[in-house]
Amino acid sequence: MSARDDEIRRVLAELEVHVAEAEASIAVLKALLADDEVQVEENP
Amino acid sequence: MRALADVTGETLRRWREAKGWDVPRMARELRKVARDSGEDVAAHHGLVKMIPQWERGGRVPRERYRLLYQKIFADALGDLSQGMALGTDFALRFAEVRSRAARLPSPDEIKALEAAALARPREAMTPAEIRAVAAQAIAHLHETADKLAELSALLGGDGPGAGKPGEGKPGEDKR
Repeated sequence: MSARDDEIRRVLAELEVHVAEAEASIAVLKALLADDEVQVEENP
Repeated sequence: MRALADVTGETLRRWREAKGWDVPRMARELRKVARDSGEDVAAHHGLVKMIPQWERGGRVPRERYRLLYQKIFADALGDLSQGMALGTDFALRFAEVRSRAARLPSPDEIKALEAAALARPREAMTPAEIRAVAAQAIAHLHETADKLAELSALLGGDGPGAGKPGEGKPGEDKR
């Protein structure tokens, strides 16, 4: 395997980590808003 | 066709979901492409039954359907062909992560989520924690764009699905 292939695989792995981290942070924010919706439904 | 032969049912499902299509919509798209190319295909309700079977791997789509998938998902197959030199696993991972990156909200949308979360007092998280989470999301969004550009350069830059800025850039693909 060439050095370029190694580099491509390394960048892909880093990309996957950043996408997963972004998705996780966004999920936290959305979960907070979803909690509000549940509370509104329970206590309209 | 060789590239599509390497695609699993799971990948067909991921491609469909990456477009935001449910099974009936996938069936309509297959029939639309078939009509445009003068092909005869199963009726809508028949396709709605067959698509989940293909996606579960219980049945393999016949050649005419594989050709229709190839036309619909040409972009994804472009990624696949481009990445084939590095192996099928790499190509599928690249196609999937690009699809996920394209579905991320924009920084402005994240700021709107942050503002909405800050607008109501809550016990679960302090305002400072909410701001930190939003800042992290935006930072990772920028890193994602940088890594896509880096991969684009490493893969040759101008091939299909190479992640050019503005095409498949995180938070900017509003399908």
